[in-house]
Amino acid sequence: MRSEDEHDAVVRLTAVRKEYSDSVALDGVSLTIEAGEAVAVMGPSGSGKSTLLNMVAGLDRPTSGSVVVHGNDLTTLSETGLAVFRRHKIGMIFQFFNLLDDLSALDNVALAAQLTGTPAGQARKRAVELFGELGIAGRRNIYPAQLSGGERQRVAVARALMNRPALLLADEPTGALDSRSGEQVMDLLLDLNQIGQTLLLVTHDERLATRCASRVVEVVDGRIARENSLERTL
Amino acid sequence: MNAVWTAARAAIRRRKLQTIVIGVVVWAATATTVMALGLLDASAAPFDRAFAQQSGAHLVVAFDQAKVTEARLTEAARHAESSAGPFGQASIDTSDSDTFLGSLTTVGRADPGGPVDRLNVWNGRWATAPGEIVLNRTPGADSGRIKVGLSITVPRGPALTVVGFAYSVSGSADAWVTPGQVRDLRPTAYQMLYRFAHATTAADISAGQTAVAGMDGVLGSLSYLTVRDKATSEMGVFIPFLMVFGILGVVVAVLIVANVVSGAVVAGLRHIGVLKALGFTPNQVMAVYLAMVSVPAVAGCVLGTITGNVFTQPVVADAIEGFGVENISFAPWVNVVAVLGMPVLVALAALLPALRARRLSAAQAISAGSTQRVGRALRVQRWLSGLRLPRSVSLGLGMPFARPARSFLTMAAVVLGVTIVTLAVGVTMSVIAYNDAVRPSYDNRVELLAGRPPGMPAMVEPGGPPLPAATLSDSEDESMLRSLPGTASVLAVSRLTTQVSGGTQEAEIGFHRGDTAALGPRVLAGHFPDGPGQVAAPSRFLNQRGFKLGDTFTAELRGNRTQLTIVGVVLTNNADQIFAAWDTLEQLMPGTRAQSYQVGLRPGTDRQAFTSAVTAKDPGLRALPPREGASSTAVIITSTATILTVLLGAVAALGVFNTVLLNARERRRDLGMLKSIGMTPRQVTVMLVTSMGALGVVGGLVGLPLGVAVHQVVAPAMARAGQADAVDVIMDVYHAPVLALLALVGILIAVLGALVPARGAARISIAAVLHNE
Repeated sequence: MRSEDEHDAVVRLTAVRKEYSDSVALDGVSLTIEAGEAVAVMGPSGSGKSTLLNMVAGLDRPTSGSVVVHGNDLTTLSETGLAVFRRHKIGMIFQFFNLLDDLSALDNVALAAQLTGTPAGQARKRAVELFGELGIAGRRNIYPAQLSGGERQRVAVARALMNRPALLLADEPTGALDSRSGEQVMDLLLDLNQIGQTLLLVTHDERLATRCASRVVEVVDGRIARENSLERTL
Repeated sequence: MNAVWTAARAAIRRRKLQTIVIGVVVWAATATTVMALGLLDASAAPFDRAFAQQSGAHLVVAFDQAKVTEARLTEAARHAESSAGPFGQASIDTSDSDTFLGSLTTVGRADPGGPVDRLNVWNGRWATAPGEIVLNRTPGADSGRIKVGLSITVPRGPALTVVGFAYSVSGSADAWVTPGQVRDLRPTAYQMLYRFAHATTAADISAGQTAVAGMDGVLGSLSYLTVRDKATSEMGVFIPFLMVFGILGVVVAVLIVANVVSGAVVAGLRHIGVLKALGFTPNQVMAVYLAMVSVPAVAGCVLGTITGNVFTQPVVADAIEGFGVENISFAPWVNVVAVLGMPVLVALAALLPALRARRLSAAQAISAGSTQRVGRALRVQRWLSGLRLPRSVSLGLGMPFARPARSFLTMAAVVLGVTIVTLAVGVTMSVIAYNDAVRPSYDNRVELLAGRPPGMPAMVEPGGPPLPAATLSDSEDESMLRSLPGTASVLAVSRLTTQVSGGTQEAEIGFHRGDTAALGPRVLAGHFPDGPGQVAAPSRFLNQRGFKLGDTFTAELRGNRTQLTIVGVVLTNNADQIFAAWDTLEQLMPGTRAQSYQVGLRPGTDRQAFTSAVTAKDPGLRALPPREGASSTAVIITSTATILTVLLGAVAALGVFNTVLLNARERRRDLGMLKSIGMTPRQVTVMLVTSMGALGVVGGLVGLPLGVAVHQVVAPAMARAGQADAVDVIMDVYHAPVLALLALVGILIAVLGALVPARGAARISIAAVLHNE
């Protein structure tokens, strides 16, 4: 039986340690993210923030400690189990978008739903809705190479939201964008959080953190150096 | 050059797998090519060398002493470049000797030398006195109990002592005695040996024969081309299919090398940019890529040449045993061509993509990968995404369209792989079918030996149990066999050795009585002999003696000359075996009983019970063990075809392996992203395997008819080279179930080649791919 506290926590990292052959990326990190929160992880290069994101996404496994996301203990899941977890529970946004060049924007987005077994027609219908909601309805039949950076990132966001994930992970979502496109993506993330989407951002960009996050976690040398709750600058 | 070499070494280290793929592919192609070229060269070399050493006779002719004179023959021989003879020629019967040597064509010659047919006396000495005989044996051949000092008893003639062994590559005689001695052996023919100034073609020989022997009294003749064909036919049968395998192997190697190098150029665009930015000239960049491929190519080529030699030498050694030429191998040019030619071919295959690397501008190359690629084959992808297929499958089906040139090269390798397998299976089945046709299965028949054969001391092995005399007569035995409940058909057989005039052309005549249609050889043309003086012969007999259907030839049977007419062509593999009706034997040797009986059994008849019933009625009949099925040539061909199929099939699969490897490397980020949104490792594997499976399906559908078509060319060529008949059994081997299985070969090659790299790609670390920019 899970406690009320456990029930509300979308992410619970407990004493997570990650060692590589010659370094320690994370050293006893504990972090809880409640449903509806927007948490920004900041820190200098090599501090361990991307490793932290990988742990939450189930892309990497901790050397010790536990990672529980939406009630799933990721340390106990197989590779296939992790894939199914990612499919249903999280959405990811990357700095370089990572769209498939050979698929149209719409098919890129629909792909995420098709992997869950959703029929193509139904997946496309949901994707069209998302394109409308994200303001790129007219760009759905365009291929990634023909989209602007901001548009590509919106398509990536749409793909991440396709399966209504409990947690949206964003790794430097504005890092490869010009300032105008970056602003648009920030607005989009803020809007999403305001309608209840839990967010975990990894960023160098203080503006993004203060604009979108309700809490900032600063990681230095693999440890959480400080945590600040923020009043967002809308 | 140092910088080029350093960069090339780095490229080799970075692409270890591709380097290995190139090495293995070139190794296999070179080994196959060396085998094909080596056998091609070696097939004629032993005969040609021995023939040159001995000044072999281009034509051997036997003349009837009653119709021509020595003076006339000597006069006519002026038209030849050189000649030897006339020599007295007699046929001596050795059936009264303790050691049966058959009927020996014996020629009186004063010495083994001379302008034509200089004999190699390799053991003992030449016959110099009456009572001495020299036998024709290949050097080193194991003659069993026949040794120098052996005494041969000639009926109504002198005892002859073997004083030596000589070898005639022209096959001019079985034995030689002094000219004085041959007169005591009652010679009936003169032997003339000729060499002509022009003797390259059958027409040359024919023209020469007309000039020197255009007269009455010719008993028979033997062209060296016939002897040569017979001598080279054993290895000749390998050549057509090995040549095709060699060519296909080289083409597969070229395709795969081109694919590997173009993949390396595409994958190494940024690397090329960096090299150019560092100051490498376009030619140096091209040299880096050529060196990268040349190192494994040279290594594979050297190893392939060694492998080819190792595999070819035993086949050559086995085939030249009968030539009397020792320590012969194939010519050095085969190895030179392989060692120099293959790397050049590989370098040429690499040239186009290397030229592309040369042409790329530094800026264009160095920016590769950091900009979004424009998607390809978008319509196909869109269409596929709408299909009711698992997404991993539809994505996989679309992948080949993203790199059409690479997919085409890979598919071409699969097509050739399927072609090779189809051809090899066809050749194997043809060989088996031919073998079954010429050596019928003895599962449903019993062969019974009946007492002492006429005129022969023994048919059983020396030291074996003596065969009791038959208690029933020949006709009683046949009636008894026909009356047994398990009997379906009976064939009575008696065999005699005969001399076909013209040289050492011995043949065995099988006289058949009874159910020849059921138990005799299959008739391909004409009809089975049904009267005296008729024979049926296999094509090899006809080819090796220059006969055709309808011809009549002179044969000596037990000291009597008789004319035999060829009325049928039958399917057997023995070039020295012909068939006649019992009437002919009755005419020559009235009252001769059958030496053996073949009994076709009714289905379900117990062989053991049947033979027990036979021996209970006549203890003089003994059942022989069932004959062995496959000939050694058939075994070698089928095993060679199997080895080459596995080898070249694996090479084609390596081509697929390489493509999946390249695709997975190029799409690392895509694969990472797909995994990040929930694609399982199994789905990634399925996607990549499907991408090649599609090529496999197409490759199978194209390669299958191609393989069948090549078989329709290779099988008759093999039959011709082996002096066999290209009959329907060797042509119609692809039946529906076989074709259905062969259609799957393309998928098999594709799946096997794709599986390992696909599984490797499925294990890709998402974190490493997506975050370490």
